[in-house]
Amino acid sequence: MPATVVIQAQDLSRVHGTGDTAITALDGVNLSVAQGEFVAVMGPSGCGKSTLLHLLGGLDAPSRGSVLFEGQPVHKLSDDAITQLRRRKIGYIFQFFNLIPVLTAVENAALPLVLDGIAPAVARSKAAALLERVGLGGRLKSRPDQLSAGQQQRVAIARALVAEPALVLADEPTGNLDTQASQEIAALLQQMARDWGRSVLMVTHDARVAAHADRVVFLRDGRIAQETVLERNAADNQALLAGLITAAA
Amino acid sequence: MALTLALRYLLGRRLRTGLTTLAIAIGVMVLFGTGIYIPTMLEAFQRNLRATAGQVDVTITHRTGAAFTARRTEKFLRIAGVRALAGSIERTLNLPPEFYGRDVRVGALLLLGVDPAAAAALRDYRLVSGRFLQAADGSAAVIAQSLADALQLKVDGMLPVPTPAGVVKLRVVGVLAGRALAGNEQVFLPLRLAQKLFDMPDRITVIEANLVENDDVQRAAALQAIEAQLGKELQLGALGAGSEFMAAMQTSQIAFYLIGFLALLMGGFIIFNTFRTIVAERRRDIGMLRTIGASRRAIIGLLLAESLLQGVIGTSAGLALGYGLGRAITTGGAGILRQYLNLEMGALVIEPGLLATTITLGVGVSLLSGLLPAWGASRLTPLAALRPAALAPQQVGRTGTLLGATLIAASLLMLLSGRFALLALGGLLFFIGLVLASPALVQPVAAAFSVLVAQLFAREGTGELARGNLTRHPGRAAITASATMVGLAIVVGAGGLIFSLNESMLVLFRKSMGSDFLLVPPSIAVWKGDVGASEALANKIRAVPGVAALSTLRYAQTSMPARAGSGLPDIAVSLLGIDPAAYFSVSSMDFNAGTAELAAAALARNERNLIINGILAAQTGLQSGDTVALSTPEGQQDYRVVAVGGDVLSAKITTAYVSQALLRQDFHKREDIFYQVNLTATADAAAAGRWLAKITGEYPQFRLVVGREYLAEFSKQFDAVFAGTYLLLALLSLPSLIAILNTLAIGVIERTREIGMLRAIGATRRQMSRTIVAEALLLAALGTALGILAGLYLGYVMVAGISASGIFRMQYTFPLAGVLAAAAAGLLFGVLAALVPMRQAARMQIIAALRYE
Repeated sequence: MPATVVIQAQDLSRVHGTGDTAITALDGVNLSVAQGEFVAVMGPSGCGKSTLLHLLGGLDAPSRGSVLFEGQPVHKLSDDAITQLRRRKIGYIFQFFNLIPVLTAVENAALPLVLDGIAPAVARSKAAALLERVGLGGRLKSRPDQLSAGQQQRVAIARALVAEPALVLADEPTGNLDTQASQEIAALLQQMARDWGRSVLMVTHDARVAAHADRVVFLRDGRIAQETVLERNAADNQALLAGLITAAA
Repeated sequence: MALTLALRYLLGRRLRTGLTTLAIAIGVMVLFGTGIYIPTMLEAFQRNLRATAGQVDVTITHRTGAAFTARRTEKFLRIAGVRALAGSIERTLNLPPEFYGRDVRVGALLLLGVDPAAAAALRDYRLVSGRFLQAADGSAAVIAQSLADALQLKVDGMLPVPTPAGVVKLRVVGVLAGRALAGNEQVFLPLRLAQKLFDMPDRITVIEANLVENDDVQRAAALQAIEAQLGKELQLGALGAGSEFMAAMQTSQIAFYLIGFLALLMGGFIIFNTFRTIVAERRRDIGMLRTIGASRRAIIGLLLAESLLQGVIGTSAGLALGYGLGRAITTGGAGILRQYLNLEMGALVIEPGLLATTITLGVGVSLLSGLLPAWGASRLTPLAALRPAALAPQQVGRTGTLLGATLIAASLLMLLSGRFALLALGGLLFFIGLVLASPALVQPVAAAFSVLVAQLFAREGTGELARGNLTRHPGRAAITASATMVGLAIVVGAGGLIFSLNESMLVLFRKSMGSDFLLVPPSIAVWKGDVGASEALANKIRAVPGVAALSTLRYAQTSMPARAGSGLPDIAVSLLGIDPAAYFSVSSMDFNAGTAELAAAALARNERNLIINGILAAQTGLQSGDTVALSTPEGQQDYRVVAVGGDVLSAKITTAYVSQALLRQDFHKREDIFYQVNLTATADAAAAGRWLAKITGEYPQFRLVVGREYLAEFSKQFDAVFAGTYLLLALLSLPSLIAILNTLAIGVIERTREIGMLRAIGATRRQMSRTIVAEALLLAALGTALGILAGLYLGYVMVAGISASGIFRMQYTFPLAGVLAAAAAGLLFGVLAALVPMRQAARMQIIAALRYE
């Protein structure tokens, strides 16, 4: 039985500005992510990676084409409905973590549930369980400034997962981390897809991180230049990806 | 969650939270503190003059509180269902300080002249010793136990009481249990004796009656019959307590409320600015929250929770501070009130309405001020919020500038009109005009001042940089400058009013109170409780060697209709009797209409003529030549207004002046309550003073003062009151400090990357600090310049407005000290506000700043 498609981009385009100053950030992209699939998006700066992520997450509206989330066109929804979709079905991970500095790890992780009206105690207990799973069981009460960069990103991952979303969007999640932390986070994202059944779409520059994905999509000038399905062995994939990146450049 | 987050955010920025909350606290403090003071004073006043009420079924008094003929009781006696009825005299006697000795604090007595035969049927007098009054009693009195204890008096002891004929000693025949009613110490004496002592033959002030018991139908019928017999002059109910003074106090209350409301409005301004800062600071947090599914409502809720918390904390702190302020003003003003009005302040009076209004306004203004920035934050799209903030320079709106300039021009034209309503409107338009036009003023003012700042302080281009930073957001700079402007304008404007008022009052004081000697009763201007003296004292004074002229004042209560068509009740008026020839030879008035010569001649004629003072003219709309119906004990009498003018003591009280002959004829008043004495040019002042002191010794209700000393004393008290008021107003400028601080802080946050870049290419920490301080000084200079301008206008408008209204004529005095104080405060605020953002900018880590998005 074919895996269920969670999100699908159809002829997705985004043009910024008008007339002479118009810049095409994304140009007719078709892409789908299945349930439990881990997709990495790579490409040089300005190729449209972040724009793609924003469109898929309903943060931006396409100039042409559409995004279907579980078969439903996202951009036909009202602002409130898109907000609810993000709250319940999509988890976000940012490069700079974006934790609320005045909240503890567990409170940060519990935010989406609390925003959804879940009782704070219930939300915190769920968040605590997730923090345990990402290896931060001992730092529940720590504030962001008391955590290392890698630990902060784990809190952000727990926050992204707490509402049990179907899709996790990660924008350069290791861009602000050292090598070891990057590898740990990449492994965690892989586990998220393979073991916990979440679909993950990650934008990254780092081939070693992308090597943990099931599939890598290369973007260039707003279009998909190449798609590669990877093996399960990350070490082999790194060499393959290094070759592809060189070729793409 | 919203509250937790709000609390954590607030605690995360303690200094700013403290300062912002303080802005609200100051507003609430002023509103609440002054709101406590006036009712406390009025309560003390009412207590002082409170008549006995209650215990009897019906109390009848004259509408003006005046005495009336005892024959009026007869028609009520005939009414079926009236079980007992009698007329009595109730009169408050203000006592001079230490009348009963140094350690006895009895400021006033309530004298009750009752008919001994009828009294027992009206009230139940519980005696602890002795007996009640009897018909055959001569100089006898029954006193309350509290007074007996205070004076250590027992039955058969002698109680000295000041009367128009000098001090009279009454034999205490009985002591009543406790004190029957709240208020002054009560002294019961036979009605006939009271009438004799106070020169009120056959007159009473109150009729009291008890109705038949256990028959509601007959009681109702009796009450109806009594009402039918009241006529135009009498009313059911107890004596009013100096309503002309109460009205004056209520005007002050409105002025205080206005100041408090302005303070709160400034607090709102600060909160608004702070929340704009907060939204800018938390742009990324807001973006993240929106990205992970926070609705727009949730974002609004989060920010409103913060403003609510600040409002609640600020209001609570403001209430506590306001209580302290109320207590401080009450304590500080107690001496003046005791000296001039014979008032003993009691416990602070906190009206539930005041508490509710203050809380509603404090919390409401905070919430409202947070609403607009919160709404703005909720409109941010997640994507826009996650991107670095745009730093494109803001454009100055042409419409706002044009509208502002038009309003300023219109207000200047209104200034020329000389009409109160137009002047007041002009003042408002001038303020609004300045606020609207201020963004356009940012560039030229900053350019002018930046040259100066650069020369004095910020070299190496930092002054230019500061100017650039400021003019990049003229709207924001203008809002900050407007907050500073409002604060400083109040200081300068109030300075203008206070200096002008002080100067004009002193001129008028010299004019109307400039005699060589004065005999002053315990309470001046609010004369009701004062005990005067009979003609004998005046005659004794006239006989003193060296006395050239003597003028006295006599007092009666009356009322006249309010301005036609206003629908307001009659206005209580303090009616002063003067001897026209003597008065204008010793003293004088400030005339809005008419002259001293014409007024004196008109009052000397055997006609019902009167002079009304400015405040009364403003309230009634009366002009010279108009006829007005005055309420007298025997009914209404038509009087003709011959001039509009007044003296310094009655400047705030609705007052009219008639001849003493007329006061005796229509109001049966012959007591002199105030004396002014002038000596001949060759008189021995010291010897005359000794003579006068000896004579006054027999009338301890008066204090003999030398004219010069009285002026100095008055001037000193005036200065103290004004200094207090000025200090209170100066508090209002404090929040503008917070406004500047916020704007600088927001600028530093927004320019984090830029600061990083400047540091990276070689700017020193010192240079960064200087830039921020220069920016602060430019911002403060803009606010101060606008504030002084608006303040001068405001002060002029207030002075011209009060003069135009006819209430009190003033000459405008330029408030140089106020302007200098405002300029100094503005510059000081600039430097102080720069301290925290300056440290932030200087300590910024270059790498982190460059990475900041």
